[in-house]
Amino acid sequence: MAVHDVRIEVTPLQTEGMRDVRGDVVRRQLIADHGIDVGIVRSICGYLVRSEYEAGSITPRVQDIFSDPIIEFGAVDTSIIHNTEFFPETPSLCVTVGFKPGVTDNPGAAANDGFQVLFPDENAAISTYTTYVFTNLPTTVDNTWLASTLHNPLIERAILATREDLSSGTASTITFPDRPTIVRQSPSIIDLEVANEELIRLSNDGLLALNLTEMQAIQAHYRMPEHQAARQSVGISTNAPTDVELECLAQTWSEHCKHKIFASKIHHIDTETNEDTIIDSLFKTHIMNPTHDMAKDVDWLLSVFHDNSGVIAWNDDWSVCMKAETHNSPSALDPYGGAMTGIVGVNRDILGTGLGARPIANTDVFCFGPPTWTGELPSTLFHPSRVLRGVHAGVRVGGNESGIPTVNGAIVFDERYIGKPLVYCGTVGLMPRRLADGRESHEKNPTPGDTVYMVGGRVGSDGIHGATFSSLELTDESPSSAVQIGDPITQKKMMDMILEARDACLITCITDNGAGGLSSSIGEMAEYTNGCEIDLGKVPLKQEGLSSWEILVSESQERMTVAVAPKDTEAFEALATLHEVEATPVAEFTNSGYFHVKHGEETVAYLPIEFLHDGVPQLELESEWIPPVQPEFKPPTSLDNTTLLEEMLARPNIASKETWVRQYDHEVMAQTAVKPFVGKERDGPGDAGLIAPIHGDPQGIVVSCGIAPRYSDIDAGAMVAAAIDEAVRNAVCVGVDIDKMAGLDNFCWPDPIESEKTPDGKFKLAQLVRANRELERICRAYRLPCVSGKDSMKNDYGVWPNKISIPPTMLFSLFGNHVDVRNTATSNFKKHGQRIYLVGNSKNELGASEVAYHLNEKNLVEGIGGNVPRLPEPERQLDIYRRLSKTIQNGLIRTAHDCSEGGLAVAVAEMCIGGRLGAIIDIDGIGEGDSFSRLWSESLGRIVVAVDAEHEIQFIESMSDADIHLIGMVTDTQILIIEDGYDELIQANVSDLTKSWKEALDMTGGV
Amino acid sequence: MSDNVRVAVLFGFGINCDRETAAVFDMVGGTSERLHVNNLVQGNRSLEEFDILAVPGGFSFGDHLGSGRLLGNRLRFALRDQLQTFVNSGKPIIGICNGFQALVKTGLLPGPESASLEPDLIQRASLTLNNTGRYEDRWVTLEFDSESPCIWTKGIQRIECPVRHGEGRFVMPTDADLDRLSTNHQLTVRYVDPSTESGSGLSDDLLPFPLSPNGSMRNIAGICDPTGLVFGLMPHPEAFYTMWLHPEHTSMNLEDDQWEGSGLQIFRNAVEYVRSQR
Repeated sequence: MAVHDVRIEVTPLQTEGMRDVRGDVVRRQLIADHGIDVGIVRSICGYLVRSEYEAGSITPRVQDIFSDPIIEFGAVDTSIIHNTEFFPETPSLCVTVGFKPGVTDNPGAAANDGFQVLFPDENAAISTYTTYVFTNLPTTVDNTWLASTLHNPLIERAILATREDLSSGTASTITFPDRPTIVRQSPSIIDLEVANEELIRLSNDGLLALNLTEMQAIQAHYRMPEHQAARQSVGISTNAPTDVELECLAQTWSEHCKHKIFASKIHHIDTETNEDTIIDSLFKTHIMNPTHDMAKDVDWLLSVFHDNSGVIAWNDDWSVCMKAETHNSPSALDPYGGAMTGIVGVNRDILGTGLGARPIANTDVFCFGPPTWTGELPSTLFHPSRVLRGVHAGVRVGGNESGIPTVNGAIVFDERYIGKPLVYCGTVGLMPRRLADGRESHEKNPTPGDTVYMVGGRVGSDGIHGATFSSLELTDESPSSAVQIGDPITQKKMMDMILEARDACLITCITDNGAGGLSSSIGEMAEYTNGCEIDLGKVPLKQEGLSSWEILVSESQERMTVAVAPKDTEAFEALATLHEVEATPVAEFTNSGYFHVKHGEETVAYLPIEFLHDGVPQLELESEWIPPVQPEFKPPTSLDNTTLLEEMLARPNIASKETWVRQYDHEVMAQTAVKPFVGKERDGPGDAGLIAPIHGDPQGIVVSCGIAPRYSDIDAGAMVAAAIDEAVRNAVCVGVDIDKMAGLDNFCWPDPIESEKTPDGKFKLAQLVRANRELERICRAYRLPCVSGKDSMKNDYGVWPNKISIPPTMLFSLFGNHVDVRNTATSNFKKHGQRIYLVGNSKNELGASEVAYHLNEKNLVEGIGGNVPRLPEPERQLDIYRRLSKTIQNGLIRTAHDCSEGGLAVAVAEMCIGGRLGAIIDIDGIGEGDSFSRLWSESLGRIVVAVDAEHEIQFIESMSDADIHLIGMVTDTQILIIEDGYDELIQANVSDLTKSWKEALDMTGGV
Repeated sequence: MSDNVRVAVLFGFGINCDRETAAVFDMVGGTSERLHVNNLVQGNRSLEEFDILAVPGGFSFGDHLGSGRLLGNRLRFALRDQLQTFVNSGKPIIGICNGFQALVKTGLLPGPESASLEPDLIQRASLTLNNTGRYEDRWVTLEFDSESPCIWTKGIQRIECPVRHGEGRFVMPTDADLDRLSTNHQLTVRYVDPSTESGSGLSDDLLPFPLSPNGSMRNIAGICDPTGLVFGLMPHPEAFYTMWLHPEHTSMNLEDDQWEGSGLQIFRNAVEYVRSQR
């Protein structure tokens, strides 16, 4: 059958009332990001259809598939740009953007699905492109620059056509992105009997990210006679690894998968205290042990650390789990695709927990460079505004199209994130405590003989080396194959199907294919039965010709690995067919003790399970704490605090992110009882997400987070304490059940291993030590077990001495029970006459505060040093939180807001904005320090509440001896007044505050 | 015949509001079943088994090639006869958000020119990108045409509920098309300014963003077919089944018996309509 390429183009009609919104968005974003008006922009969507059908047969059905008869015009095999009805004058410039070969083209796949309904051809393929038409581009705009804002050359092609090109007919058109044919290479044998330098070279050249000790451990394995004998019996090279084995070990032993720094033996020296100790695994010492200790006191910790997410018993019928991940390196290279695979990836962690949990809520926390950055930018980095737009769009599409509400998050800005943005994606999952057959759903129970299916997407050359790549620093040569675009609809279909399979009791074991691909997923599951046998020849591929090692380690998205008992395989496959999900048996569990990989009949890898999982040698690292010297922040003596408040509200770290957050669906599933924005105009800040996931039942789940990276500039320990306290504070603000909450620690660090590339590695490791010690101290005091966590340890850009390292950053995510969502609180002031209390004490803690950075950036002061906020008495703090949470659960308090960046002044201003009400506040006597400090200090443990007069006495009684301060009253004046005794510090119109807070990060360029 | 009112709630291919849509029908006395579209396409199941059909919100096929289009095609080409029979036998259909988009693109909405004509599955309107160019989740105020034949909206004057869409701008080719729907009272529900008095908020003049979240012609949020049985709307009434989903419930001091959300009545109307026809 002959194959034809047919071009179809679609553009919006120009009749009355019709608009080209796609084009107009391009115009508005260029105004918002660069202050450049490019004039009218029009858009054309293109489809290149490769099938057995000719243009003549497709033409009559164009309106049935490609163009909407009411709003669009469609044309076959002609370029609309030359159609004078739509473009009476030749435009200034056309930029056509299409995908590079092999890049996921979701619109193309969907179009093909639609095409097949009318034109069955299983070999058909459709590739899409978009043409942006600039009808009258100002001559001051550079064409190449403009094109660079419209595509990412790593994954997309752009073809420019100028007015001259179009007039003279020399404009080139975009063609089908053909993939070069590749031929499968047979596995090669890697000789490891070489000099040490050669071992290092093998690791570096192969992007294996293994150090010399690890390469030597592998070398030693192949020298052992018993292994050689076993290998001979299956017909694989006896004394040297195949490339498949080496790649498999590199993935499994990667920092990304094995957390080698957290597991390392650390020699720690503290020059302040003269401490000189050895720490054997930060993870075991400071994270795992405390949680296991706490597990002795409670009965609701069902599964911690060992599965894809941590699971707690929520009530008798349901358990809840949560996981957060980072996707920093991919998001730096392709913000859109990197972030999207981040969110859909962590969704799969939830789906792969126990026997399968259903994702019910997402959280997104991003750290970026300032969006208004005008300074230097290395040529390989994107401008922070571009990173923000791309990451946001990726997470938005990933979350929204999966039908999972985004209920909580944050965006943090600092110049150092220009080198490496941080993209944290979290997901909460829900599963029944028991399945219909009586099995507890948080436990996996495979047996030898179970069939292992690969379910969902196919394997391609995309996503090869993601795990090892993220374990290296970012450079100009970072590979584009590590970047992928997610396909949320394929994943959604898979998720629907797997949850039905779970409820039909067809699953014995499940895990996701993330970092390391099948090598990790099947490898990890094989630990349960102590062995497996895979046939790579059975794995469905996106394109032929992939080598065995590529199939094994490819991280192609949207795949789960599911084990099914032989008696259930027929039912499982029928379900897959119904849902149009590909499910292919690729392996079988054994108890052979070996990870046995075949390609057809040939054995291409044969590794003992024990060596694969426990063979990696422990790192030994050096750590030395010398406190950083920061010039002390001294507030200027004369300063207009009212102006300062308006400036502070417009700081990107404080300003409203509403434009961005509203683009996430935060209400799908009909469960969100406290939304990201609250109050009279639904634009005041929400402190924590609160959901009631069982329809009709008011029992809730609180989801909150805390992050305070700049405190690391003084002490990374303080940074961690502040992050945990913020997460708890936020949860308390909505009335969390303080006795049933769990946490997730997600560390993002600059490389803390001392080397030529990282001469300050000892200091960065000491920061990590201090961070972990505070994590343990605060979590133990708060009775807050960490049930899952993750670390990303190479967040640097460039090469010493021009290296940009991120500030050490830990995101703390919290999920907890809520007794009844009908009794909760929101941040907005509710009505005139409410009495305002500050819970907690203010201290003189302006070190690394937002106001210190602000006045530094304005060159009004020098230095951000001084007292960083600390938490010296966490047990006492927990008691305060418990009492306050109870008063909210009892319905006495319906207004509460967390005090964080910008201190009390900002917190109260935000409460006025949310309620569109004024307040009169007196900060006399609320704590130590001068009035500047009491306004702006970021002391931990503080929450502002407003209580109706009739509940005031009960409130005071229930708080008992806890530190509460009456600071003022809500007024209907629309004016916020803050006084210190007789001195008026601030008098501001709420409308002005609202404007400052809402406009700074709007970035819409109009409507 | 049993008293059961059986509701088919479609899912699959990226539909994602199926669980809550099924739940609200159960709350008002219906008996819902989440039914994969392919169960109907492959003939394992038939629409005949059901009294009500709901096409929930979501992102069927990722909204590629226009929201609801590819799902609409599956319905239009694979289920044409079943759908026509369903409507002809007087059974109600609702499409919410992506489901509304799919019903418009199948041509079930706004449907033929009069109630006496059979559904012809010809597309006469569309839902296109919001004027803002952005997908947004925000609460809106809706008001209903009290003279609409729509069986889903009887007795409802004004409610709030969320919209969550990027392609919700309702358009028709000409003013005359809209006039015809208006005359037939098929412009069942529209976005209104909440500061107007309930019952007098409906207006043909375009409301500014965000009162109208998408720039729909005549502020249209939802329409029905000439029979009033088929109803579609962009906003999500199922997402306001209880007051604890309202953005300001912490300001309301509600009594225990005041927690029903005003979105629920739409579903109750349909279940009661089916019972009343027996």
